[in-house]
Amino acid sequence: MANEARVNPLVPRTGRIIKIVDETPDVKTFHITTDSGKPFTPLPGQLAMLSLLDVGEAMFSITSQGPEHLELAIKRVGMLTDALHEAEEGQTVGIRGPYGNGFPVEELKGKDLLFIGGGIGLAPVRSLINYCIEHRQDYGHLWIIYGARSPADLCFKDDLFNNWPKVENCRVDVTVDRGDAGWQGHEGFVPAFVEELHPDPAGKVAITCGPPIMIKFVLQSMEKLGYKDDQIITTLEMRMKCGIGKCGRCNLGSCYVCLDGPVFTLAQLKQLPNEY
Amino acid sequence: MLKIAKDKLPELLQAWAGGAKVFVPQDKGGVSVFLPWEGQGNLTLGEGNTLEPPKDLFFPRTETMYRYQVQGKEASLIEVPSLEEKRVLVGVRSCDARSLLLMDDVFLTRGYVDEFYRQRRENTRVVALACTAASPTCFCTAFGIDPGRAEGVDVQMWPVAGGYLLEGVTEAGRELLGQGSSLLAEAGAENIPAAAKPGLAVETSGVTEKLQRMFEHPYWTAVSRKCLGCGACTYLCPTCHCFDIQGENRGNSGYKFRCWDSCMFSEYTRMAGGHNPRPSKKERLRNRFLHKLQYFPERYGKFACVGCGRCLDRCPVNVDITRVIREVKEVTL
Repeated sequence: MANEARVNPLVPRTGRIIKIVDETPDVKTFHITTDSGKPFTPLPGQLAMLSLLDVGEAMFSITSQGPEHLELAIKRVGMLTDALHEAEEGQTVGIRGPYGNGFPVEELKGKDLLFIGGGIGLAPVRSLINYCIEHRQDYGHLWIIYGARSPADLCFKDDLFNNWPKVENCRVDVTVDRGDAGWQGHEGFVPAFVEELHPDPAGKVAITCGPPIMIKFVLQSMEKLGYKDDQIITTLEMRMKCGIGKCGRCNLGSCYVCLDGPVFTLAQLKQLPNEY
Repeated sequence: MLKIAKDKLPELLQAWAGGAKVFVPQDKGGVSVFLPWEGQGNLTLGEGNTLEPPKDLFFPRTETMYRYQVQGKEASLIEVPSLEEKRVLVGVRSCDARSLLLMDDVFLTRGYVDEFYRQRRENTRVVALACTAASPTCFCTAFGIDPGRAEGVDVQMWPVAGGYLLEGVTEAGRELLGQGSSLLAEAGAENIPAAAKPGLAVETSGVTEKLQRMFEHPYWTAVSRKCLGCGACTYLCPTCHCFDIQGENRGNSGYKFRCWDSCMFSEYTRMAGGHNPRPSKKERLRNRFLHKLQYFPERYGKFACVGCGRCLDRCPVNVDITRVIREVKEVTL
């Protein structure tokens, strides 16, 4: 029958968690694959609907991918994420996607890139950082500024302290709101840290993601440093159910974040209702 | 143009029921809704519209999407069979016919086709019934809708003395009329009755452009003050298409379903972790009106209101979209 050839975009495929990495006390990275390999090949910044079939389904950014799997870094904040954090390797999951526009990797070519992340907000930004590292010759200087509440809350420590600093023409600066006995690094909030480091806006595009309060103050800092609205890119989070622009709830004005986002320039966001 | 005597209409429906499930407006506990026709002879296609729009027949209030079985770490997913049932929907008014075209924009365009909707839509023939008497809360003409002739339907009917005039609009519609050819007689188009004049009038031109400048306006605080957030407007609205996806577990198995949701509910946008971008009635009511009158026109080039008047008729506190349109146009910026 003709209907059987059609793919129903609301029905997930089943996949499996093949590896779980503890990032922080409340963030784990889940490696997911299917019997026929990687569920799909997303662009940096695109999203996936992940479900535990008998618990629920939610949208997550895809923080990285390998040839055979996707990686989703997930913070424990609610019913589904609680259950995911209790899950073990081998657990069957539902997955569908990829959703959303992703980062404008073509337009960013040749630019120096400044990445500003806070907490779990590094997860979507990391997909672009790793993409730029894989396509190193296409992008200029990479500068990563990242902060978390405490040293224990720093996500992707291996990247921050081992992998990324070794990349050619790449700089990593890390701060924590409050250090502990063993912390030798910078202490203070991300926006103030950015101002202290005062990255020059010339030839740069800044990509930022973090808790709403951090983004608010980072944007103020960027303005002080002379960044224009079209030099700042962020990626948004909204409650989503369908992921395909039909169920209604993730709208910002006439845009659906699941379809037309989640990546927007600040210039674009200023054209939309401030309702995120 | 064809004509059928009123007492022969059940026979025509019977002919259609041979190849499809026929739905007609019926009274169910005092509420007028589209229900399967089961051969009853005392068929009344009344003057008014149904309280519930035919939306439910294309986008059911709850609909199973898939089933699953879970056993420890193992889980499997079972798709539901595709919906092959053919249907004929009789007595759809022009406003509700327009709403189906708006739903088509949502569910069938912009990169993804909603398969559940598509199957129901493609399997359903729509027989429209012209309005010759309007309700006091109607205003379809404000959106360029002709109460005397519906858009995008297969057959158009008009009530006349002693029966109905019928015109096959699409090939499928002419086929339907062919199935009842022995019951139908040729008639002159000059007998088409005058269309009803809607009870309410409102001028919509310029409202989208005005609303584009009113997102932060205090008007929304004022108009939302009396809203109870009950969501009746969204449930009765033929163009409201928002849905939720939920699951139901029974032991080791369960199913995922989607169900109507409402932007008037706080849970609708509340994220895990508690953040809610539309935390109060003000933001929610504003979103509903902006969706109808600004966002949908920006996205699809059409108003997402068909002037059926159900929301203002049934709102417990008389929130009235025609009044909102008028007041928005009067606001000084």
